[in-house]
Amino acid sequence: MSPPSLVLLLAVGAVVGLDLVAVPQAMLARPLVAGFLGGAVAGRPLVGLTIGALLELFAFETLPVGAARYPDWGPAACAAGALAALRGGWDGTWMVGVMVVALLAAWLGGVTMHLERRLNAAQVRRREAAIESGDPRALAALQLGGMARDAARAALLTAFTFLVGERVARAVEAGWRAPRALADVAVIGTALGVAAWSAWRLYGQRPSRRWLAAGAVAGIAVLGAIAL
Amino acid sequence: MTKTSIPGFGLAVARLFTIQAAWTYERMLGIGFGFVAEPMLRGLRRNGDSQAYRGAVARQSRFFNAHPYFASLAVGAAVRAELDGVQPERIERLRSALAGPLGSLGDRLIWAGWLPACAAIALMLVALSAGAWAVVAFLVLYNVTHVWLRVWGLKAGFRSGIGVAGALSAPGLQRALELVTPVAAFLVGGALVSVLAWIPVRARWETAAGAAAALLFAAAVRAIQPRATGMVVAGGVLAAVLVVGVLW
Repeated sequence: MSPPSLVLLLAVGAVVGLDLVAVPQAMLARPLVAGFLGGAVAGRPLVGLTIGALLELFAFETLPVGAARYPDWGPAACAAGALAALRGGWDGTWMVGVMVVALLAAWLGGVTMHLERRLNAAQVRRREAAIESGDPRALAALQLGGMARDAARAALLTAFTFLVGERVARAVEAGWRAPRALADVAVIGTALGVAAWSAWRLYGQRPSRRWLAAGAVAGIAVLGAIAL
Repeated sequence: MTKTSIPGFGLAVARLFTIQAAWTYERMLGIGFGFVAEPMLRGLRRNGDSQAYRGAVARQSRFFNAHPYFASLAVGAAVRAELDGVQPERIERLRSALAGPLGSLGDRLIWAGWLPACAAIALMLVALSAGAWAVVAFLVLYNVTHVWLRVWGLKAGFRSGIGVAGALSAPGLQRALELVTPVAAFLVGGALVSVLAWIPVRARWETAAGAAAALLFAAAVRAIQPRATGMVVAGGVLAAVLVVGVLW
């Protein structure tokens, strides 16, 4: 990837990272969108969408609730989308390498967000007197500082995922000796497995359980009709 | 006061999208809450009472936690109460009383309902080869509701002031709460099947093996809850597969 494209990728990664919590929570941070955008930067948005859709299955588990520590999928999916696009299409062995690094980066995203919140708190303590006196400039400075830290955090995560992911994916693809189907089945099994578990956790109680099952049956029926 | 005459309304709406920018464990949304409320509180300053304005801004910047979209309802109500000259203790009680219900409402309606429903629709569109339109449909569908909720919340809160609890029992909101879970469950069920058929593997048996592996994996994650999340287990499994694949 050329340096200008890499800079653009980091900028897009920063935007999707900002979106998760800081601004504007418009779901640009969802893997489906971030993967597509990362793929677009690398010239193949639809290939980026492929890995974005797979990571979206993992993200079903994430409920971004208040003080909980949850993974940050945006920067990881953005870089993963670009890596998939650079590969040019689906390859299970390449995907396994990228996925492992993307999952690690999403987890790291949660850890770094926790650290960022502590940095925010330190800044708030520093301006406590101004806040308690109702100074609007103190509030604006804190908001801007929070956004700047979040953007920097997300750009670093994007860089990490892209640079480490590319090395890992290349090494795995070159050194892979097992049947390639193992990689395909592992990727599908884990992604769909997490999504199935998350669906059960969210909708496994009555009466939602019936709707979940009805949806699966309807999906099978539609796909069967299309196949015929 | 009509909605068009709400002072600072437009700026407050724009700032609503940044309400979590300075999130901390101590004040949670507090700083953002004060930042959003501030333009609407300028009316207090214009009346030549800078002390009332500053006191109100400081009060609105204290601890607050709720779902970020529904926080706008609390901002509107608290600002109206400040402008109406309600006692500070009552305003603080109002903010405390709203935090729990607004958080719970947003978690159920958005995080566990509307968001998975929209994501499921997008995944089905991807499976149907809609390509970029899947992303566009997801963003438009989700954000029409998202933006509407933020703006509606600010207006409804401002209209209601201290009696904002009534806005939470609006028939439309209650109906949405009843409908969103079954609709999301149905769509997610359909999406999981659709995605299975779409994943571009080499042979059909790989899809069947993937489905079987997914069911086994989901059962395993369920069995070890709450010691590890599905994502962590998946990361471990994929890392192990990676090592096996290279050392084979």
